Amino acid sequence: MNNDNQSDQPETDITDGKSSKENFGPKITRRSFLQGSAAVSAGIAAPIYLAGVSKSFAAKGGAVKIGHIEDLSGNLAVYGVQKDHGAQLAVKEINAGKTLKGGPVGSGGLGSLSNYAANPPIMGNGDKDLKFVNDGGELTESGMAFVEDKDVLVDSGDSGILGREVELIHPDGQSNNNIWQQLTRKLIQEDKVDCLVAGFTSAEREAIRPIVDQFKQLYIYTNQYEGGVADSNTFCTGAICEQQVIPVVDYMIQKFGPRVYTIAADYNFGQLTAAWTRAFAPQVGGEIIGEEFVPLSVSDFTTSIAKVQAAKPDWVFTLLVGSNQSNYYPQAAATGLEYPMASTVNMAQGYEHRRFKPPSLNRMYNCVNYIEEIPTARNRAFVKRWYEMFPKDPYIGQMAQNTYFSVHMYAKAVRIAGTTDQEEVKRAFESGLHLEAPEGTVFMEPSTHHCSHYIRLATADADHNVSFVREWPSIQPWWLQRLGVNLVRNKEYKQYIPDEDPFFKS
Amino acid sequence: MEIDALALSLTYQFGTNAAFLFLSALGLIVILGMMNIINLAHGELMMMGAYAATIANNQFGLPFPLAVIVSFFAVAIFGAILELLIVRRFYGRELSALVVTWGISLILGQGTFLVFGPFMPAIKIPGGSYSYGGFSFSEYWLVLIGISISLVIGLYWLYRYTSYGLQARATMQNAEIAKALGVPTNRVYTLTFSLGAGLAGLSGALLAPTSTIAPFMGQQFVAPAFITVVVGGATNVISGAVGSSVLLSAIKTPIGMAYGAFLGTVALLVAALVIIRIMPDGISATLQKIMDRRRARHTL
Repeated sequence: MNNDNQSDQPETDITDGKSSKENFGPKITRRSFLQGSAAVSAGIAAPIYLAGVSKSFAAKGGAVKIGHIEDLSGNLAVYGVQKDHGAQLAVKEINAGKTLKGGPVGSGGLGSLSNYAANPPIMGNGDKDLKFVNDGGELTESGMAFVEDKDVLVDSGDSGILGREVELIHPDGQSNNNIWQQLTRKLIQEDKVDCLVAGFTSAEREAIRPIVDQFKQLYIYTNQYEGGVADSNTFCTGAICEQQVIPVVDYMIQKFGPRVYTIAADYNFGQLTAAWTRAFAPQVGGEIIGEEFVPLSVSDFTTSIAKVQAAKPDWVFTLLVGSNQSNYYPQAAATGLEYPMASTVNMAQGYEHRRFKPPSLNRMYNCVNYIEEIPTARNRAFVKRWYEMFPKDPYIGQMAQNTYFSVHMYAKAVRIAGTTDQEEVKRAFESGLHLEAPEGTVFMEPSTHHCSHYIRLATADADHNVSFVREWPSIQPWWLQRLGVNLVRNKEYKQYIPDEDPFFKS
Repeated sequence: MEIDALALSLTYQFGTNAAFLFLSALGLIVILGMMNIINLAHGELMMMGAYAATIANNQFGLPFPLAVIVSFFAVAIFGAILELLIVRRFYGRELSALVVTWGISLILGQGTFLVFGPFMPAIKIPGGSYSYGGFSFSEYWLVLIGISISLVIGLYWLYRYTSYGLQARATMQNAEIAKALGVPTNRVYTLTFSLGAGLAGLSGALLAPTSTIAPFMGQQFVAPAFITVVVGGATNVISGAVGSSVLLSAIKTPIGMAYGAFLGTVALLVAALVIIRIMPDGISATLQKIMDRRRARHTL
């Protein structure tokens, strides 16, 4: 991506003079549904949810309660506080009558997501209002036309959600799974939250998911994770292995060579992500020449570094989690280890490139759905809003952005459903909902309850400047689909693991 | 070429592993080993040392060696205050002291988090690296190995040849009699706790460049520190800590290199179990017994 990417919206933009209403979908939809109506989102795909929308504007039933658990103290607070701030920012914006662009996609699928798809595509050369990119995404004189929103935060035409104020109940999980379970019960049974947004580690999620299922609570898990959760009550808005591992492994093998050494955190995330790598690398000509799983308590990496040197790989896949394990980077740099590295977790969560002195993360490649440095106009606007509210925050991580857009997505789903009734809202989430998040377009895939993401391959140079070497505007969460999961038709409450797929048998 | 490079690398790994264990345990050697206070705030004292060094180095521009010395004194002063205000009320009550120091560790960790936020910018690891036969070695870790050795010698000298050392050993052996003989035992306790805290701060500062500077970073050192001190035993804490860090590293390094970090850690824990089973009072007690026996044989 390039800094000059933000162009003014061209004349083809259909936001003309109607900025007070949310802007989505084809023109016909806007004209027929948005006139004077409080209906905020109404796509052709979801007519059943429209009943009563315009009437439900009157405030009734008190505040809409969103329960949010993250770790505000303890070892995981470094990530939890960011996510908590993301939820606070989103709630503030919703109460101020704002929303992110988006709505049900309609029958056209992802291709019709853009605000401009209602009009025929414009091909041209030298048009002063349009910018063009080549296949690699670089600016050119001619080629594919693209436009970019200056900001995706627009007026919702609603105050709060359905005229009701949104209240965020956000207790501290204290990095302790037992406390997570207690808080989940309290939020569901005492506070009767309309929606639960929670979870950093997979262990935390699996600790509370049985409780969520017991009460059929609408639950949004916003973390990047190993994938596989197929749960009728759970919606996963973080990126998963097929969206992060495959693109980065493919790129690294092409660019640096086939010999891969994996060093991963020794728990389900690290193990399963390594299994993905093992299954996928041979398909693109790679070879795993060594694998090491490091316990989370380890913080002295001398031996691991020597093992990498003995194996002489072309590049190292580091799936290290937590602050102890990020010690690997400065230690490896001080030992003179100069292999290119790839990851799916570092930089975008724990901002290692800001914390460690260069060149510890030189030639680190990471596939992310969000990283603060994304140079698009909409992201810069988002970053600005964030630091206006939280000027002391050190960084906006990937999961913080996920939490932020997830809360907005919930508001949108409620407006489609016209009620906070949780079963209705779950069905609205399954209506083919898309949202213009700071990262780009995200799409809630109805059958698997996972999101498609705008994935970027970010890299740090010797001075730890971040740049983007490749991007994939939409990667589907396809693995559960491949297994035949369809939560719209069949209710399920489990997590699939790679062993259940012959793809991973080696 | 491959073989000698591998041997060199193993030696280097052995040295760094032993130095890591020893530095983790450094402050605890004094506080647990000598005073018998189960100090669960040990990790947080190391964290304070790392923070002091980071702030001195990044904010005030002090060169790193000076920053390390500053953090020794900063944490030592904090340790003295802690002893005067809280810890001295719990001598002889091991379990109460355990709970109190645990509480202190929670306050320090979360307090640091509230004041300084989730991370501090790191200190760059000083020095470069050597490489030989496909392996490379960090100069800074070589320096740390050297510092560990000189710290052992320094501590030995302090307790063997200074009047403070004599008074401290007397107080730890029998506080009542020491007091009767005119040893200011209260002051000795304060000084010893303060020294232990300062040493924890010093090793926290020394390990800071290799580590993430975060409020809960201390926890990574607590388990290795306790294992090292307990395996070493209380008969002679210094020789015990040296013996146990060398022995544990000698077991962990080859197994870690051959079978990975996970089994390396398992081997370390199993070794600790076996050693404690065979030598319930730790390595130093066994060493002492061997020496006593030899001495007895000579006198006969």
